[in-house]
Amino acid sequence: MTALLRYQAALLLRSQRWLPPVVLYAAALGIGVQGGQPVLDSLGWAAAMLLPVAAWLVRICVTGEPPAARGCVSAARGPARAHLAAVLVALAAATVLGAAATVVVALISDPVGTGRGTRVPLLPAGGAGLLAALVCALLGTAVGALTAWPVLRSPGRAVPALLLAALLALVASGSPARAAVSGLVTGSKSGTVTLPLLPLAVAALVAIAAVAAACALSSRRSSA
Amino acid sequence: MQRELRLDGVGRRYGVRGPWVLRGVDLGVPPGVLVRVEGANGTGKSTLLRLLAGIDAPTEGRVTGRPRTAYVPERFPPALPFTAARYLTHLGTVHGLSRRAAARAAGQWLERLGAAGYADTRLSRLSKGSSQKVAVAQALLAEPELLVLDEAWTGLDTDARGELERAVAERTAAGGAVVFVDHDPRRLAGTADAVYTVRDGALHRRTAPEPVAAGPRVVVRVQGPPGAVLPADARRTAASVEETGPGSHTLAVPASHSDVLLRTLLTARPPWHVVSVHAPEDRR
Repeated sequence: MTALLRYQAALLLRSQRWLPPVVLYAAALGIGVQGGQPVLDSLGWAAAMLLPVAAWLVRICVTGEPPAARGCVSAARGPARAHLAAVLVALAAATVLGAAATVVVALISDPVGTGRGTRVPLLPAGGAGLLAALVCALLGTAVGALTAWPVLRSPGRAVPALLLAALLALVASGSPARAAVSGLVTGSKSGTVTLPLLPLAVAALVAIAAVAAACALSSRRSSA
Repeated sequence: MQRELRLDGVGRRYGVRGPWVLRGVDLGVPPGVLVRVEGANGTGKSTLLRLLAGIDAPTEGRVTGRPRTAYVPERFPPALPFTAARYLTHLGTVHGLSRRAAARAAGQWLERLGAAGYADTRLSRLSKGSSQKVAVAQALLAEPELLVLDEAWTGLDTDARGELERAVAERTAAGGAVVFVDHDPRRLAGTADAVYTVRDGALHRRTAPEPVAAGPRVVVRVQGPPGAVLPADARRTAASVEETGPGSHTLAVPASHSDVLLRTLLTARPPWHVVSVHAPEDRR
């Protein structure tokens, strides 16, 4: 598995296809986050914007190999494991991106609540932001895995499905991403920090189920 | 001991309501055998090979006893952001080699296939034939227990074709199984242990002898130590064996298997003496 992960990571880094989603994420942060704003609000925005980026990264990773090259790897290690490696590399990339954004946002924001009436402790706020980012990365991974090969094969359907699913995962009631982000925002209003542990557990379960389904399908669908 | 790969009642179709591409396939691929699969275009040969390689799961039936497998696709796309050597090193580790062993094997196989000069060339800049060499090297570098070749010879130059035939002979001599599809009937002619034909979505074992067009042969004259019996492996590799005197034999062997035959004889305990090796025509 280590060799597969290393191969997929090299494939992602060298292809430079990671660049567009990273630029998009940086732009989204540039629009929504400014220095000196209340920290929890900014962390909420940073986490929310990570969800579509994570989904896009999954799409990039699982479509990075031409079918024939995927066949060579699948023969050696099995199609499910080959697919899992691609998804895990995307999740890792999204997590690193989210962690970096959380650190930067926590450093440039003011440790105050909305309205600047209450102080918000920086370290717990950063921790909550990190967990919220992880929730969004996991849910984005689930969205990406369910809207790319082998679940949806034609890009004409897969890309709109990805966008729609990412939007739904952010706004639908009951979504762990929405719960984590709104936890940060309401915490900012009241000046309290709550760690989104329940949303994290739910997001992890959703991601595991979605990725397992995609991996199970990887040997059952045609390659193109 | 390596197990036998078995397909039992295997069927495959794409999509829930798609037509059956293959159905009712029962096939065993024991270690050390060379299997040829024939059939017209679009009959499901490639689907069968993908099932054998484990890339596709059967829609019905069971596949058991999967060995360490490697696969060479018919067309290898160069759209990967690596140099040939780096890609092969990655694939070597995916096949289970250490990084150092993978890098060494990558260099050796590129050299054997006549592509050593392209080791540091990006895959996207390789010609079709050279990327096919990379695909072949990828499959051979970890000495797989099962090698699946889907028209792997297509696009290779003459030297590389011969080298791949010899590599197949080496794999089977070392106890690995090889399954291949090739449109050229002379490919490894007379060396396959079993020939199957895919027709109307079903697999048929061909029992009729191969057409006369046997491939090129090499004649080897050997002298054994007093009282020695010709090693069983050598007898199996040779197409014909003729005892010309006490301990002295004349063997005709498919050209692809001459190296394997000589290696068997020279490494036998006690070793055999090779008197001469020549083409069948200039028999002196």
